[in-house]
Amino acid sequence: MAQAENKVAEELTTSEIFDGELPLNAGSEARLDEQKFARYALIGDVMRSDKQEAPCIDITKSFAIALENEAVHSVSVPQQETPATKSNVVELSAWRKPFAQVAIAASVSLFAILGVNTMSSDPAQPVNDTLQLQSTPFAGGVSPVSLSTEPALESAAKGIRELQQQRIGALVLEHQRQSRMAYALQQTGEETQIKQEEKEQ
Amino acid sequence: MRALVVVLSVFFSSWLWANENISAKQLLKDMANAVHHRNFDASFVVVKGKSMEPYRWLHGNLGGTELELLSLLNGAGLEMVRIGDKVTYFEPKSDPYTIQTDSIAGPIPEVLFKNIDSLKDSYDFVLGGKGRIVDRPAQLVRLEAKDDSKYNYWLWIDTESSLLLKSAYVNQQGELLEQLQLTHISVTENPTEQLLELSKKQFPAPISGLLQTIDSGAKSNWQIGWLPQGFELLKSDRHKLDLNNELADYYLFSDGLVDISVFVQRPLPGQRPSGALSSGATTVYVHNTGAFDVSVVGNIPAMTAKAIAESVKRPL
Repeated sequence: MAQAENKVAEELTTSEIFDGELPLNAGSEARLDEQKFARYALIGDVMRSDKQEAPCIDITKSFAIALENEAVHSVSVPQQETPATKSNVVELSAWRKPFAQVAIAASVSLFAILGVNTMSSDPAQPVNDTLQLQSTPFAGGVSPVSLSTEPALESAAKGIRELQQQRIGALVLEHQRQSRMAYALQQTGEETQIKQEEKEQ
Repeated sequence: MRALVVVLSVFFSSWLWANENISAKQLLKDMANAVHHRNFDASFVVVKGKSMEPYRWLHGNLGGTELELLSLLNGAGLEMVRIGDKVTYFEPKSDPYTIQTDSIAGPIPEVLFKNIDSLKDSYDFVLGGKGRIVDRPAQLVRLEAKDDSKYNYWLWIDTESSLLLKSAYVNQQGELLEQLQLTHISVTENPTEQLLELSKKQFPAPISGLLQTIDSGAKSNWQIGWLPQGFELLKSDRHKLDLNNELADYYLFSDGLVDISVFVQRPLPGQRPSGALSSGATTVYVHNTGAFDVSVVGNIPAMTAKAIAESVKRPL
């Protein structure tokens, strides 16, 4: 009983010393539980996320040992997931699959639509200084209703227009792709130029 | 006393003027520096005439290695990832590929984050007015083309963080043709989780042998008689276009800020007039000579594209 009381008193003292309520002197130090004090300090560190000094408590080992001794209830070899090994290349996001039908970059299709408007303008009119610059309508400018009643000649013209649209789309996409290399090309060009100059000197 | 005040004010204003003159270039350098070193998560839109493209732009610097992700959020999409000096492009319907380069070729010209001194022969750096963009104080810096046949490029830079807030291609009449505007930016202490995750992934190996491929055969096929000042040939070859499998003699030019592509192709059937199309700052000019078609694509005025296209001749 007395021992238990003594322990409670010790605990109190430790806590008081830790909080700075009791001065640390020879009298109080005798009643200080060092282990407990260290634990309080650790708790404080963790709560303030002062991780530098905190010891690492590794329980994975004991878990591993315990697991090894555990009886096996259902034996099923976990299936190795292999799609990642097929190509080591990352797939960025999920949209790439469902939206693949949208195909070409948006800007390309915008140009194609514009193609109808400007390219079918009157050929007799010279394009010199009166270049018609139009910004792009976002939704298509051609109404599908009129197409079904087009005479044969016009539908042939339409075929050509489509070819032209396709070509313009291809040109814009190609320009986008090629210009991605432009900066790198320029850099390597400058580097080789510098090297050559160094050699000449 | 009054004389002293006048003298002092003259002295100060000239000092300020000189100071500001230095800082147009310095501001651009500060911006490049800020973009390379800060961790941020930004969204911006590119407005081209009546169309609009939203982008998300993440950037981080992890112990000296830059991590960057730029995604086009509308339509079929496009994602560009940069880990250090490798940039991978993810496009719908085609395999991703990697280029060995230290900047993403997005809507902002790469050179602005790099050595802008290379632009000084073609552009003047001019300090513009101050304004407020995305609720931040911004300073305008104008890249004015020394040659009238090119567009100017304007940038609005955050005076506090030096980050880019807005930019635009501006024609010689001062009209904003294509604008890029940040809608949101948050600067964080550490790179975002998404970037850290990406940096652990594997990407395709860079395309090897990326050199200035100037195919002498393709080069001598055609003579390009005229180009605006400052443009250099970077590449020339003959290849099939990806979308329609058409063969083209191809030439790529750059003045450091903008790129121009010139295609020479077999003519399409039918009587077609030559003409220009545009979307934002990008112009496509198709010139029909009868014997062959010349197409010019790039962020240049239509009249310039027309002049380039019409200068293409068979060599004598």
